[in-house]
Amino acid sequence: MTMLNIENLSAEVGGKTILNGLSLSINAGEIHAIMGPNGAGKSTLAYTLGGRPGYEVTGGSVRFLGEDLLAKEPHERAAAGLFLGFQYPVEIPGVSNVQFLRSALNAQRVARGQAELSGGDFLRLARAQADALGLAQDMLKRPVNVGFSGGEKKRNEMVQMGIIDPRLAILDETDSGLDIDALRVVGHGINTIMRKPDRAVLLITHYQRLLDYVKPDFVHVLAGGRIVRSGGAELALELEREGYGALAA
Amino acid sequence: MSDGTTLSKDDAPELRDQAARDAADKAATYEWGFVSDLEQEFAPKGLNEDIVRFISAKKNEPAWMLEWRLKAFRMWQGMTAPDWAKLNVPPIDYQDAYYYAAPKQKPSLSSLDELDPEIRRTYEKLGIPIEEQKVLAGVEGARKVAVDAVFDSVSVATTFREELKKAGVIFLSISEAIREYPELVRKWLGKVVPIHDNYFATLNSAVFSDGTFVYVPEGVRCPMELSTYFRINAANTGQFERTLIVCDKGAYVSYLEGCTAPQRDENQLHAAVVELVALDDAEIKYSTVQNWYPGDAEGRGGIYNFVTKRALCQGRNSKVSWTQVETGSAVTWKYPSCVLAGENSVGEFYSVAVTNNHQQADTGTKMIHLGKGSRSTIVSKGISAGKSNNTYRGLVRVGPTAEGVRNFTQCDSLLLGDQCGAHTVPYIEVRNPSAQIEHEATTSKISDDQLFYAMSRGLDQEAAVALIVNGFAREVLQQLPMEFAVEAQKLLGISLEGSVG
Amino acid sequence: MNGVLDLPSTHDEAWRWSDLSGLPALAGARPGGRAPTGELWIGCGGPRLLFIDGAYRPEESDPGPVTVGPAEAGAGDHPLGRLAGHQGWRLQLARDRGPAATIEIVHVATGGPAHVAAEIVMDEDAQASLVETFAGEGWHNVARKITLGRAARLGIARRVLGGGFASLTDTASLAAGASLDIATLAAGSGDSRLDTRLTLEGGGAYGEAGGALLARGAQRHDANAVLRHAAAGGTSRQLWRSVADDRATCAVAARVEVARDAQKTDAEQSLKGLLLARTATINAKPELEIFADDVKCAHGATVGELDRNALFYLASRGVPPVEAKALLTRAFVADALARIGDEAVRAAFLADAEAWLGA
Repeated sequence: MTMLNIENLSAEVGGKTILNGLSLSINAGEIHAIMGPNGAGKSTLAYTLGGRPGYEVTGGSVRFLGEDLLAKEPHERAAAGLFLGFQYPVEIPGVSNVQFLRSALNAQRVARGQAELSGGDFLRLARAQADALGLAQDMLKRPVNVGFSGGEKKRNEMVQMGIIDPRLAILDETDSGLDIDALRVVGHGINTIMRKPDRAVLLITHYQRLLDYVKPDFVHVLAGGRIVRSGGAELALELEREGYGALAA
Repeated sequence: MSDGTTLSKDDAPELRDQAARDAADKAATYEWGFVSDLEQEFAPKGLNEDIVRFISAKKNEPAWMLEWRLKAFRMWQGMTAPDWAKLNVPPIDYQDAYYYAAPKQKPSLSSLDELDPEIRRTYEKLGIPIEEQKVLAGVEGARKVAVDAVFDSVSVATTFREELKKAGVIFLSISEAIREYPELVRKWLGKVVPIHDNYFATLNSAVFSDGTFVYVPEGVRCPMELSTYFRINAANTGQFERTLIVCDKGAYVSYLEGCTAPQRDENQLHAAVVELVALDDAEIKYSTVQNWYPGDAEGRGGIYNFVTKRALCQGRNSKVSWTQVETGSAVTWKYPSCVLAGENSVGEFYSVAVTNNHQQADTGTKMIHLGKGSRSTIVSKGISAGKSNNTYRGLVRVGPTAEGVRNFTQCDSLLLGDQCGAHTVPYIEVRNPSAQIEHEATTSKISDDQLFYAMSRGLDQEAAVALIVNGFAREVLQQLPMEFAVEAQKLLGISLEGSVG
Repeated sequence: MNGVLDLPSTHDEAWRWSDLSGLPALAGARPGGRAPTGELWIGCGGPRLLFIDGAYRPEESDPGPVTVGPAEAGAGDHPLGRLAGHQGWRLQLARDRGPAATIEIVHVATGGPAHVAAEIVMDEDAQASLVETFAGEGWHNVARKITLGRAARLGIARRVLGGGFASLTDTASLAAGASLDIATLAAGSGDSRLDTRLTLEGGGAYGEAGGALLARGAQRHDANAVLRHAAAGGTSRQLWRSVADDRATCAVAARVEVARDAQKTDAEQSLKGLLLARTATINAKPELEIFADDVKCAHGATVGELDRNALFYLASRGVPPVEAKALLTRAFVADALARIGDEAVRAAFLADAEAWLGA
């Protein structure tokens, strides 16, 4: 089943074209990695798919689970099953993680016509996910990302992903700024939560290190706002060896 | 927070938030804006000595009370309204209002069953339990809250009076207190806010119609939350309530105050006076959720809220904590203050003030440190949206003999949109070198990053804004008793609807 | 109320902490004549001007680009500034121009009023620095208008050393990218009233107003600063340090105004007061008035005595209490003078502060 189908997508930021006719199709059960040099448009792809204001689509189409993704507001995309893991998770002072996620999850559930989770059920779910990803329980009560280290923020993104349980996760440089232990935890999180027949992942990364832990089914090279090369997991190793210069040329 | 409720401390924030969003879904704008249709009795329009006599006579007051009122009225005639606040208020015609409006009913009710059904329905609609078996705001498992319901100029019901009496706590309308406990009232009335204090307090002293009196005797911890619900209903009517709370040595009371009014195109005046007295080791926690009608989106109508609230921390180790959530009123002029006279006395002020559309708020506190070792904390969170203006105005004063005073002030402003204003006007006056006074202030807006992050997790824009705003105000909201916190969170969300995007 | 002088009362918000009761007597007093001025020159090697009782002394001056005569002080209806008249000095600098060395102006009063009007007009990219000294006994009353063109840069350092009263009123407007900082040291034996109103009219301008106010005996220093951001991207700093001993009072009311269009404003205020005696008073009013939503405005204010932990730390290292206090007080004051660019001027100001603290 095709989960995400991007056709000829172009997008600009501040009047500057960043994505330039990008096409990509992701089926359920697949993990895709998008790699590319700095400035290739990797984060722009993630934000455009997430619907961030200021990222203007100038051409092409994106269908997610058969629906027009680009017509939806960011929160509607979330309710439809899209999860965007941020490269720089945002701090929200005064709002606890638990409060934030329960509000978000229940908003999504209501949008999908499901019943809301009770406080107790939600806490059980949140605690289980925090345990699974080695996030200390007290972090759930702390304000969203406030005072978290880089690694804690990324773990927190994984805990959020586990709680929200999306169909498709787009993870933007989730591996950046992580030490070896944290990288292992994040990799483990992606595998346990998302490596399922009806789920899919789009990993956006600059280095192939994360791919040691999460083995992609497909690897794409993004350069100049479009995919210039696609292959299997071995492509990542080739990139590591040869650098982007040679491949993108 | 008490145990044994269905809400546990851990769950509270998220449950509160849920309640807030439920309410936001339900309420389009101002859901308290209905008018109750019932027969009312008015004093003639206008203000003169005869009206003052009329009010006093209506309440069967003793002669000293009438004299007190007349003295205030004569004084008021020679005064001018203060103009130093950052408020733009058109001149008020004091002759074009009613100073007394009361629902017609039997002079005294033998039981609540005799209460006018329309008034009963009004409070039901507002979610205020004036029957003792009900609980506030319909929160399941909440504790008992005693309620004094003030409808326009008179108190219409006071619950749990008997149960409180057993504990020695006096809780009744001030009109009754003047008749039943004249010595106690006379001893303290006007001691904290003297009749000449300011233009609006003097006016109140002349024409105050009702309000609440609380006395908690030595060593008594008041067994339940006390609350007063103020409702302005009649048109063209000012509300001038007077509240006096005296907490004797070692006593404790937590008092809540809520206010609503119908939606009208005219502006109505509310000029209250609240006096608190805390003796040795006494503690008073005073919480307000002020939700008077704010006027419509074009700035028509709304309550002019000119309120004088002051606490005298007279005793050693006495403590008064003001917590306010101000979302209503077209104009708010209000500075709940503490005179920290007692050694090691403590004053606290926690405030969230939200202004939207054309609302104007100039609010803050005064902490007057006279006692040795007295301490104060001020946390003010101002949220401005629409075309509104929101000012924090505060004074921290340390007298020359007040050794070892500590004050910490934090004033944060949040701006939503580029048509509003946020202002901070703190005054610091220190005359003792051992004082440690710290003041910090910040101004910010909700960042696009925060909004997008919250929305990418599934919240729509208004829910995301409400969540972020509640986070901004959290330090203050968590000071409120739980039932009020639920209501306050709802209000923040509702008050800011349509302010972003 | 105040006779011919018509002075504001403390009911007026901008004057709530003022005491102008000594002014009528000073205004009516007769100047005593000459006064020694030698040690008042810092010696910056640039243009220098001497005013005694408000009158220019050409024989002891070398005005360089400064002209003496009529000046538009622009004080408007400021109750003291408007009394300064229209005679004084004027500095006009054309595009890209500016004297290499700091301009030095010394004002001496000899018992009576000394009114001086001043005007500074600097065109695009012009640059200047100025140091002023107010000395003697009497009433220094200076009103000054400053107009800075695009990217013009002006630094002003001034010290009030005399007795009597000094009222210094500045009104400045800054075009895009212009920069103005005014640092004031009050280390004399008289009272002062400092009014500073800087308006950042153009985008990306920088304004700074601050200083150190030192008061003892029955002295009163009263500073009132308004930094108005009228355009986007401006930066402002206000750093004030007050020290009050005996029965003295220091009051600082510092306001930041951010107009609707002044997005991306970055404004900071730091107001600190140090009380050295239990009969002294410090007043502070760090005020923000903000009409733009995308701004960074923060202020901090503290009042208290010297940090006891720091005192103990110094004592534990062998520093006697008196020296430890002096050391910490100097550091407290030096904060406000650290921004003075000209090293000779900064050294002179620090020495004045030291002398005051050591007295």
